[in-house]
Amino acid sequence: MAESEEEDVLVQRVVKDINNAFKRNPNIDEIGLILCPEARYNRSPIVLVENKLGVESWCVKFLLPYVHNKLLLYRQRKQWLDREALVDITCTLLLLNSDFTTAWNVRKELLQCGALNPERDLYLGKLALTKFPKSPETWIHRRWVLQQVLRECSPPSSDRKEQCDSGLRDAAERTLLSEHLHRVLHDEMKVCAAAASRYPSNYNAWSHRIWVLQNMAQGNLKVLHDELSSMREWVSMHVSDHSGFHYRQFLLKALVRELSQSMHHHHAPWPSLGSSSPRSPSPDTQPGHPHHQANGEATAAAPCPSPATPEDQSSVPAMPQLFHQEMELCTDLIQSFPGHETLWCHRRHVFYLWHHWRRDHDHHDGQGCGSESPQLNHTDAGLSSYPHTASPRGVGIDRVDSRNGQAQEGQNAMEVDGVGVPDPRNTKRLKRGPPDPCPPALPSEHGFIARVLEGCRSPEQGCFALAYRKWLDSVIGQ
Amino acid sequence: MGTQVKDVVIKSDAPSALLLDKHADYIAAYGSKKDDYEYTLSEYLRMSGIYWGLTVMDLMGQLTRMNQQEISDFIKSCQHDCGGVSASIGHDPHVLYTLSAVQILSLYDNVNVLDVDKVVEYVRGLQQEDGSFAGDKWGEIDTRFSFCAVATLALLGRLDAINVDKAVEFVLSCMNFDGGFGCRPGSESHAGQIYCCTGFLSIAGQLHQVNADLLGWWLCERQLPSGGLNGRPEKLPDVCYSWWVLASLKIIGRIHWIDKSKLRSFILACQDEETGGFADRPGDMVDPFHTLFGVAGLSLLGEGQIKDVNPVLCMPEDVLERLGLHPDLLS
Repeated sequence: MAESEEEDVLVQRVVKDINNAFKRNPNIDEIGLILCPEARYNRSPIVLVENKLGVESWCVKFLLPYVHNKLLLYRQRKQWLDREALVDITCTLLLLNSDFTTAWNVRKELLQCGALNPERDLYLGKLALTKFPKSPETWIHRRWVLQQVLRECSPPSSDRKEQCDSGLRDAAERTLLSEHLHRVLHDEMKVCAAAASRYPSNYNAWSHRIWVLQNMAQGNLKVLHDELSSMREWVSMHVSDHSGFHYRQFLLKALVRELSQSMHHHHAPWPSLGSSSPRSPSPDTQPGHPHHQANGEATAAAPCPSPATPEDQSSVPAMPQLFHQEMELCTDLIQSFPGHETLWCHRRHVFYLWHHWRRDHDHHDGQGCGSESPQLNHTDAGLSSYPHTASPRGVGIDRVDSRNGQAQEGQNAMEVDGVGVPDPRNTKRLKRGPPDPCPPALPSEHGFIARVLEGCRSPEQGCFALAYRKWLDSVIGQ
Repeated sequence: MGTQVKDVVIKSDAPSALLLDKHADYIAAYGSKKDDYEYTLSEYLRMSGIYWGLTVMDLMGQLTRMNQQEISDFIKSCQHDCGGVSASIGHDPHVLYTLSAVQILSLYDNVNVLDVDKVVEYVRGLQQEDGSFAGDKWGEIDTRFSFCAVATLALLGRLDAINVDKAVEFVLSCMNFDGGFGCRPGSESHAGQIYCCTGFLSIAGQLHQVNADLLGWWLCERQLPSGGLNGRPEKLPDVCYSWWVLASLKIIGRIHWIDKSKLRSFILACQDEETGGFADRPGDMVDPFHTLFGVAGLSLLGEGQIKDVNPVLCMPEDVLERLGLHPDLLS
């Protein structure tokens, strides 16, 4: 197909205009299409106003096929393009069509040979996401770039052959690297948050956020807890955002894992990176953070930005408090915003996590962790305070009997918002803050459901409450 | 004053009869204007687009209207030296389009257009130490790719090329407390991923590892008052979920847990009476993707005018019969 020469010239000019715009203003933070069906006064279709870059829509139908075909000719070795041209063309292409995988791959190759900086691709991706907040290929490419960044910053591994890498990085350089990673991590959180705000229940943005924590913040209690705190307000303003709430479930689960690991000296070895995982969907036996590499190598401990200090650890509230706070948040939102399925799903998940944490703590107590300072195991100390759930007779999810065995249905019914009696042996706990919160328990949950149904004016709210009750009965057990 | 549950309202004048002829005409004419800007935009997934079009035509008994020779030549020129197949000429190879290519050629009983041994090598090479599969040489991990890998190999009769046990281990590590599956361990349950994982487990002969009651419950909670299905809580219904959710329910033997007639009404309402084809929800623009899944969904619901569709591979049952492929289903 022969293109008119005029079109050729026009399009080449537009490509140049776009890239000059970036050179003129390195702070462009948003891109968009300007609905403009016809060219006017021979002006460039590229409009730069403050930090916003716009492309007038009339030129896109010439621009896209031209750059698209040009790139493919290059890929098929039918036409040579130098590095700078490749950078410009892929940039234009991806701003118009961010799911064009092959264009991202060309940039990967440019990155590998040093013609592109990882930061530029993170920046380009960030811009593309302002227009296409879900774009799967943009998120996928982002993860690859971050893996390159991590590799550059990671400690020397056994398959690095260069001598200069072997243990010669001094403390100062390590600190710089750690700070760099810290910035990268926080930038990622911001990019995810922006994309999540642009599109409701943005699965790709949130699963990316989880990936970042799994790969760049393993075991970092501070980061996990900071995320939990900072997301509170966001989810309260996005009560339908199932992915946002799932992120909190992920954080809680990760905190459970990390806090248990740090508390117990003698614990069952945690699954190492990339190893097999048990089949149970129980949260505590899920594998650690799988760290995948293209060639299958499991990395050694990946770099962790500002690893948690002992001070950090003690400033993170204990699990019962975290669960209590989460259930409280859930209760508030359910009452303030009746009829939101997401909130009830969240309740199921938090209750399930708490239920299994309690069960596993009872189990560990029974496995000779008695040498542990008792104040670290509240279930050991405060047995009389907390009603235990019965031996589960659910749908096969619960397989371990509670240590105390018998049910105490309704006997020690405690208000969700009530306060348990603190155990005098938990001195360390008392130092941290308010008395032990009362954990949610089956009787209190049934009480909550009854209250909701009683005051309920929304038919949907009633349905969700009943579904929750049914779920409690069949999945958790009477 | 009640809350607005996220859903659509089906208008009284929405289509209620199945317009198969119109859909066949729509697909037959699709892409005939190859200079179209929209067509260029979607070239990065062209192989899958062809698979959607051909499969729905075959389900409607209209496959002969498509140009087999042109398509076979196209596929041949999309296989790369590494054995993988790309979405279109000049694009990079990926397991997604490798599967689509093998599915298309299976419809035509002509897989030898490709170098099959090289396809097998490509897929084998994507498996990681932990059993997961990358999508291509760049390494992205997703349970979708586990499905693509085993489906491709199953169609070629070469499932032995990979470590199935390890692959199963990885997929099971993506099972969540609600019985569903996400893209990676720790990810949110999502109907599309659930379809891929249950399909995977079916092919791998490991469906007993699924908690069918729990997952079935999560899946049937996807049905909204309009009759349509969504992919996750508080999302709008979408006709493609009539496939992901429905096929998953069929695979785990719980399809009777949803209201079939309400779903059927919803799917039919997504048709466009003027242009043919199905949209994601009533009144929206149609496309081949939603057209396939609307028709396939209706097939699973027992629509007489449509051929039986296999819920695991989303291909006509008679094609799989010819190949001797009978992936497990729970009852």
